[in-house]
This record gives sequence, structure tokens and C-alpha cells, in this order.
Amino acid sequence: MRLFYLVKKETLEVVRQRELLALMFIAPLIQIIILGYVITTDVRNIPVAVVDLEQGRVSRAVTERLVRSPLFRVRRVSYRDEDAEEMLRRGEVSAVIVFRDPDAPGRFAWKLPQVRVHLDGVDANSSQIAAGYFNGLIRDVLAREVKRAGAEMPLEARPLVRYNPRLRSINFMGPGIVALLLTVLSMFITSFSFVREREQQTMDTLLLSRLRPLEIYAGKALPAVVVGLVDMVLGIAVVIFWFGIPVRGNLLHLFPAALLYLAAILSYALIISTVVSNQMQALFFTWFSFILFMLLSGFFTPLESIRARAPALMILTDINPLRYLIKIIREIFLKGNGPAFFWRDLAALAGIALALTSLSLLNFKRFISR
Amino acid sequence: MRRLRAVMAKEFFHLLRDPRSLAIVFAMPLVQIFIFGYAISFDLEEIPMAAVDFSRSEPSAALLRVFARSGEFDLKPLEGEGGLDDAERALLSGAVKQVVVIPADYAERIREGRTAEVGLLIDGSDSNIAARVFQHSEILLQRHGTRILGAEEVLRIGTRVYFNPESQSVFFFVPGLVAVILLMISALITSSSIARERELGSVELLFISPLRSAEIIVGKTLPYVLVALAVGGFILLFSHFWFGVPVRGNLLLLLLFALLYVLAGVSFGILVSTVAPTQRTAMLGSLLATLLPSILLSGFIFPLDSLSPVLRSLSLAIPATHFLRIIRGVVVKGAELRHFMTEGLFLAGLCVLLLALAAAKFTGLRRRRR
Repeated sequence: MRLFYLVKKETLEVVRQRELLALMFIAPLIQIIILGYVITTDVRNIPVAVVDLEQGRVSRAVTERLVRSPLFRVRRVSYRDEDAEEMLRRGEVSAVIVFRDPDAPGRFAWKLPQVRVHLDGVDANSSQIAAGYFNGLIRDVLAREVKRAGAEMPLEARPLVRYNPRLRSINFMGPGIVALLLTVLSMFITSFSFVREREQQTMDTLLLSRLRPLEIYAGKALPAVVVGLVDMVLGIAVVIFWFGIPVRGNLLHLFPAALLYLAAILSYALIISTVVSNQMQALFFTWFSFILFMLLSGFFTPLESIRARAPALMILTDINPLRYLIKIIREIFLKGNGPAFFWRDLAALAGIALALTSLSLLNFKRFISR
Repeated sequence: MRRLRAVMAKEFFHLLRDPRSLAIVFAMPLVQIFIFGYAISFDLEEIPMAAVDFSRSEPSAALLRVFARSGEFDLKPLEGEGGLDDAERALLSGAVKQVVVIPADYAERIREGRTAEVGLLIDGSDSNIAARVFQHSEILLQRHGTRILGAEEVLRIGTRVYFNPESQSVFFFVPGLVAVILLMISALITSSSIARERELGSVELLFISPLRSAEIIVGKTLPYVLVALAVGGFILLFSHFWFGVPVRGNLLLLLLFALLYVLAGVSFGILVSTVAPTQRTAMLGSLLATLLPSILLSGFIFPLDSLSPVLRSLSLAIPATHFLRIIRGVVVKGAELRHFMTEGLFLAGLCVLLLALAAAKFTGLRRRRR
């Protein structure tokens, strides 16, 4: 009952200030919609320039394919030799494709140009994808040439894509964004809780009240749990109805995972709140932790690549609660798997939640005894 | 000038009294650089895959050897009898990302010179990995096909990668990190330091003092601008010596544009703080309204070319978009002023606009208070 009054006080503090209320429920909506459009690993409209010194049939065919392809945007076609590096440095194109006359005719009747692709390597990811696309395109043209010469390509790929047949990036990213929404605001609000009381010198009032430490603790965390869950449900609604992402599994399976996750992440935020000495530090710390959680969660880069490149960092991902939540949420949305497939992740999440909650409670005991 | 110095001295004391915030501000980007440098990569080396070989012949074994030796795939044996059902199960559990299915008549067709189809069963849940898996496999198949034809040297595609020949993602992320940190310090600290004075009521003292509004703002923010630039320089220096990120261009030129950019950030901070009455709201507000859009819509991680036209024009209104192109150009590509005239003009224009807006709002707030 006493706990109820504290929750009420916390809630009032949020509701009273309309700006904050708007931030908590409208901002996530706008965020998820923008995120849904922006966070994509699809690479489209790669700006390219073509320098065609050969002007043969093949180079013209390739250029024409480039112009028609949605993957590329041909900014310029030139028939004179130009400085590719200068064009890349100016940044208006990310690739320059140069066709030259062949040195000597090969042992085949077809005359094929020399192709050289100059890439801007600054964005390593995009440039490699672009190189891959271009390779595919040009080999396609080559296959056609082989056919013209009367032979047949011996191999042909028949792809069949499971779970996300049209390879929509949003189907993969959307559920992950829902997990982020659950995190952002609940974590930030909680990290302010004690340090704010301390800065306004109301912490002592709280401690002198008849509230037991555990009640103070729970009273600070509960409103954030509600905010987190509401934001999550809003996020799920947007993801399903706005972006049309299919849900193959049972969404109710998500709630135990979400609650465990909130227990872990809010305990962590409460630790931050007792360790820092002002609200700005709290914000920096939380922001920083959030970025780390996100980078090491497999949200937009595959965890396997961390395992291959820096095995030592895998420990950090193993104790990262966001990693398990994202895994579970994706299993439910994309593959329709039930707990039978992700019970290990759920168990890991429970372990982390238990560890963090007890750590945080111990820390809180120490904090109020000072 | 003396009055300005007094305000600056006051703010410097605030800064120095709180060495922990300063430490966080320097340590935060450092940890992020390490993670970006060692762990963050979209690449997958040795993607786990399996094969179902109905042909069980010499040609089909040769094809599987191509996959096993490519370095891009890790060919794993299937559990159970190794049939299609086992393959589907391995795909669903996420143990493999692709299953290559070789039909029973494969060897026969290759011998007769007819086209043989090879099935690729791909896990599409991570659309980015799936697209790469398909790209890699198709290139392997085509190459193997031309080898069967004996036409391997028909076409050679030479690729040259500029500025970042080893395709390291730090080259891409470090300049972006500098841009984000600069904005974070200038916008966040400005907004929260003004909101803090509002919350504590001490802003009234500043308002009734003989200080002009410009003096209050310049005095309050200049110390943070200096800290921001110091952190930016520190990040560049560190990643230069540790990760070998080149610094190819003129740093003075960069400093000039960094100042403009930080000025825009400060104006953002002032704007937010005139709306938000408390620190908590001001900080969350600047986080959601300035920092997030600057990360998401500036090309920091997600390439702008792939965005829809609406979002792409929206990104032009964000100072970070232009500053990112400038800093990437100067640092990694060695670009000079003539390479980024448009971006420079855009940045200057936005800066003037924001500054005027912030000044008007701030003096408005002051007048109302009087």
C-alpha cells in the first residue's frame, strides 16, 4: 500500500510535466517510424560514373543495365579518360567503372573489354556490396554472350529464400527496433531516479519516510516497467500495421522475456543512478551503455563476425541482455519459433536478470547506509 | 569582455568541479572506437552452410569442393540422414544459413552440356546476410560454370579500392564518431546547463545581471565548445596511432568547419532548453530531437543514397549530414575546400539560421522573465 503512494508520486511527476509525457509516448512512435525507414542494410541507388573508352557492344549493354537497375544511379557517362580518384574524392559518386579495349583477342571469338572498377572504400560495407552487385551484373551479361556464341552456361542457381522471401530489411530490423524501444526510455528515466532526488535534496525525505528500502527501490522501477511495456506494445503495433511485418509466432511468448529483460536493464539503470553524482553524468553513462548494448547485440551487425574477429569481446555479448531479447523477438516474429527453440536464451536472460537485480539491491543497501 | 570572462570562469568551475563527467566524455568514445575497430563488421567470414547431394558423383563433389574451399563458407555435415528434412531443420534452428541442393541428374547434365540447376535454400531472416550468401554463391557457381566451359580468362574484372584498401570499418566510423561526440557535448551540455540554472532558479540571477544575452550564451557555452574540440582531436589522434586511420587533409580547414558545426549544436541546445523547464526533459529532448536524427539521418551508419527521396531531402536539413561529408573527405580522402564547397555552404547556412532562431528564443525567454 505504501508502495502505491510512491508509485503515484513518481507517476505524477511525469504526468504533471506535459513535455516529458509527450516525449515518452509520442517520441517513440516517431522514432520507430523513422528508424523503420532508415535502418536498412539494403543498398540502393549507389551513385556511379561510367567511363566507356571501348564503346563496344558489351560495355554498352552493361551501361544500359546499370541505368535500368534500381541498385545503381548512373550520374555520368563519359567517353574520355578521366581521373577516377578525383571523382571519388569529390564524393558525388561512390564507384567509377572504366571499360577499355582488350589488349589482345583471347582464344575465344568474343571481343570483351577490360573492366576496371574504382571504388570509394570509405564505407567498406557499401562498397563491398556494390562490388558484389556489379560482379553479378557483368557475369550475367557474360552469360548472355556465351549463349550468343552458341554454348550454354553449365550451371544455374535456383534460390529459395525461407522466412523472409523478399529479403525485406525491415522484417529483420523491425522486431529489433521494438526491443530498442523497450530499452531507451525506461532505462533513461530510471537512471535519473535517485540522482535526481539527491540533486533536489529530497532523497533524505524519502529515506526518513516509513518506506522500506525495498519499497523505495520497487517504487522507482515500476513506473519505468509500465513505460517500457507501453512503448513496446506501441512499437509492435507500428511494426505490424504500418510496416506490415508478418508475425509467425505467438506474441504472448514475448512478455516473459520482456519482463526478465526489464528487470535486468532497470537494475542496471538503478546502479547507474546511485553511482553518478549528477543528472548529466547519469545521462552520459546511460547513453554510453545503451550504445554498447546495441553494438554488441547483433542488432545490425552479425554476432558471428564478432566471434570471428575478436573472440575476447564475445564475453561482453554473452552478458548483454539485449542480445537475448533481440534473438527471442526475431525468432518469434520471423521464424514463428516457440520457447522450445529459444529456452536457452530465456534461461540466459533469467540468469542475467537475477545477477543484476541482486547486485543492484546490494548496491542500494550500501547507498542508503551512507 | 571582462563580463564575458566572468561567465566563462563560472562555467569552467562547473566543469572542473565535476571531473567525472569530463572523464566519461573522454573515455566514452575511446571504448566505442575499440568496439568499432575490433568487433563491428557486416562481413561474415566462413558462413555456416550445408549441402544435400542427390547426385553423389564426381562433378557434384567438385562443386561442393568449390564451396568448401572458397573461404566464404564453412561446409558443415548435416545431422541425421542428411536429407531435405534435416536440412530444413538445420536452417530453422539457425545452425546453417544456406543449404546447397544438387539434383540427381546433375552429373548427367554437365556431361551432356546441358544447363544443370543448383538449388540454394537460404535463411532470409537476416536480409543482409541472405543477400550476401546469395551473391557469394552465385559468383562461385558462375565461376565454376565458366571453368567447366574452359572459358575462364574471357573476362577479367579488376577492382581497385581507394582511400581504404583493406576495407576497414574504423575508417568509416571514426570520423562519424567525432561528429557525434561534438554534437553530443555541444547540444546536450548546453541544453542541460541552461535547464539546470532554470531548475535551480539561478537563471534569474543571470537574467537580471547587466550581462547581455549574447554574453551569457557565449560565456556559458565556450568552455564546452573547447572541451568538445579537444575530445574530437583526441579521438582522431588516438585512432590515427592505434588503428592507423589516416589524416590526409588540412586539419585547420577541418577545425574551421568543426567550429561552425559545434555552433549549430550549441544553438540546438539553447533551442531545446528554452522549451524544456527541467534538466531531465531538456536532456531527453536533446537526445531524441538532435542526437538521434543526427545519427540516423546523417549517413553515420546507414548510407544516405539508399533512403527514400523524402528522407534524403530531410537529411539535408541536418548539420551533421554536411559535416560528416566534410570530415570524412578531409580525414580519409584528403579532400580540399574545392571538393566540398556545397557542403560547406550548407553547413554555414544552417548554422546562421539556427543561431538566429536560438538567439531570438533566448531573448524572448529573458524578456518574459523580467
